[in-house]
Amino acid sequence: MSKSEHLANVMVQCFIEAVEKGLDVVPVVADSTSTSKIKPFEEKFPQRLVNVGIAEQVMVGTAAGLALGGKIAVTCNAAPFLISRANEQVKVDVCYNNTNVKLFGLNAGASYGPLASTHHSTDDISVMRGFGNIEIYAPSCPIECRQIIEYALQKEGPVYVRMDGKALPELHDDSYTFAPGNVDRLVDGSDVALVAMGSTVHEAVAAAEQLAKQKISARVINLSSIRPLNNAALASQLEGVKQVLTVEEHNINGGAGSVVAEVMAEFGVPARLTRLGIADGQYAPAGDRPYTRKCLGIDSESIAQSVVSLINQ
Amino acid sequence: MNPFSLSIEELERKAKAVRRQIIKLNANSPAGGHTGADLSQVEIVTSLYFRILNCAPDRLDDPERDIYIQSKGHAAGGYYCVLAEAGYIPTDWLPTYQHNDSKLPGHPVRQKTPGVELNTGALGHGLPVAVGLAIAAKKSGSQRKIYAVTGDGELAEGSNWEAALVAAHYGLDNLIIINDKNKLQLAGATSEIMATDPLDKKWEAFGLSVSHCEGNNIASVVETLENLPKNGKPQVVIANTEKGAGVSFIQGRPEWHHRVPKGEEVDLALEELKDE
Repeated sequence: MSKSEHLANVMVQCFIEAVEKGLDVVPVVADSTSTSKIKPFEEKFPQRLVNVGIAEQVMVGTAAGLALGGKIAVTCNAAPFLISRANEQVKVDVCYNNTNVKLFGLNAGASYGPLASTHHSTDDISVMRGFGNIEIYAPSCPIECRQIIEYALQKEGPVYVRMDGKALPELHDDSYTFAPGNVDRLVDGSDVALVAMGSTVHEAVAAAEQLAKQKISARVINLSSIRPLNNAALASQLEGVKQVLTVEEHNINGGAGSVVAEVMAEFGVPARLTRLGIADGQYAPAGDRPYTRKCLGIDSESIAQSVVSLINQ
Repeated sequence: MNPFSLSIEELERKAKAVRRQIIKLNANSPAGGHTGADLSQVEIVTSLYFRILNCAPDRLDDPERDIYIQSKGHAAGGYYCVLAEAGYIPTDWLPTYQHNDSKLPGHPVRQKTPGVELNTGALGHGLPVAVGLAIAAKKSGSQRKIYAVTGDGELAEGSNWEAALVAAHYGLDNLIIINDKNKLQLAGATSEIMATDPLDKKWEAFGLSVSHCEGNNIASVVETLENLPKNGKPQVVIANTEKGAGVSFIQGRPEWHHRVPKGEEVDLALEELKDE
C-alpha cells in the first residue's frame, strides 16, 4: 500500500504553490487553522490568511466579498459548520451571486467519528446539489485531490470540495488525469458494479478484492465528479451488470445513491440498485471509523456481504 | 471622483425626482413593492450616487470604483430609480419593475441590472460581503471605499454582528455602514418587535465609529458622509429616517412596507412631490 496523506495537507500545499505561481489565493478560516492544517501557508505568507473567528456566516460572506474584490477566496473549515451554519451564505453570496469562491468542506462525512452528529456532515452533497451552479467534487485519494484543487483554483466560479478527514493512501498513480465530469473506473468487473464516493472508494476497492476470492467479479467506479457529471458515461459504465451498489458516508438521499439512481432511471440502465450509506431514520453513529462504517454497512466486509446476499437472492 | 458632484440644492431636486420615479415604478408593479422602504433611503442613496461615490456608469468594471451594497435588498425599487436617474440603466426600464423577464426584479440581481454590485434580498448578507470587499481592497492597496446601507429591523440578523466584529478586528476604515433607521419593519415598529436601541452604543461596543445624521435631510447626510472621523475604525452612520418619507399619507405608516400606490393615490403623491 502506498504512503497515506491527509487531504488537508494536499490542499494547503496546493494553495502555497498557487500563490507562488501568481494566483491571488486568499484562504478564509473560522478559527479553523488547525482543522485546515494551514500553518505552513501562514508561515510562508503571513499577511494573506483571513481568520474571522468562530463565525461561519461571515466567513462565507467575507469570502464572497474577497472574490468580488478580485481575489480567489477559499474557505477552509469543518464541513458540518460550513454546510449548515452558513447555508444561506453559500446559497446567496456564493452560488446565487456566482462568486469565485472555493468551499472546502473539511473532515466531511463521519470523519469526526466519536464527536457525534453535530460534527458529522452527511448531507453536504445533497445540500450542494440543490444549488444549481456550484461544481461539486469528492476526491478519493491524494493524487486526485491535488488535481481537483489545482483545477478548482484556476476555474472561475463557485466550487465545493468534499474533503475526508483521515490520511488516505493513493488509489491512482501519477499517470492519472482528473477531468471534471469524468467517470473513473478503478476496477474492471462483470457481475456487479460498486459506485463509491470519497474515502469509501477505498472500502469498495477492498470489497472487490474480497469478492474476487469468492469468484465474484466486481467493477468499482469512483464518483469524484458529482457536478459536472457525464451522465451518459456513467450510464455506460453501469452496462452489463445485474446489480449496482452505491457506497457513501453520506445520506443515501441526495448523495451518490441518488446521483446513480437518477442516471440509471434516465438512461434505462437495466440493473437493480442498492444504496448503501445513511438511510432514512438514521444518523451516523458516534465511534471510530471501523465501528461507524460497520454500523452503516459501508465497510468493505459489509459491502461484500451485501453483494453476496443480493446475488444469492 | 463622482461624475455629478451635485450641490445640496441640486441633490434636493434630484431626491424629489427620484421620489416621483418611486411612486410611478411601484404603481406599475404587478407584484406589490416596498414603497415605504424605497422612500426612506432616498436622500442616502441619492447623496451617494450623485456626490459621494467614486463611480460612474461608464466605469462599472473599474477596480478602483467605490462599491455600494444595497443590503436592505427589498428597497430595490428605490435603488433602481437612483440608478436610472444616474444613467446606469435606462429610465424606460423602470415601468418593467417586477414584470416577467424584467431586468429589474423585486430584489437586486447583479447579473441582470448594470450597476448592481450584489444580489441581496435575504437580510443580513450585505455587511459580511462588504467586509470581504473592504479586506480585499486593503490587501490590494486600493483606495476604494465600500458603502453598505442596511435597514434597522435587518440588524436583528446575527450575521451583521459577526461582520461588525471582523470589521473592527481588521480596522476596516474603508468600510462605511449606513443604517437607514426608519423605525418600522414588516410587521410594525422595530422598537416593539425587536428593539435595537441604543444602536450607537452597540456599534461602539463592537469597536466601530458611529456618526449620526438626519437621513431625510440631504445637507445633513452629505455633511456627515463628507466629514467622517479619520480614526482608523470602520464607520457607521445612523441615519434617522421616516419610512415612506416625502409623501404625507405613506410616511410613518407600517402598512406601506409592502404596499404600492394605486389610482388617485398616485396623483396625490405626485402632486405632493412636484418641483416648486
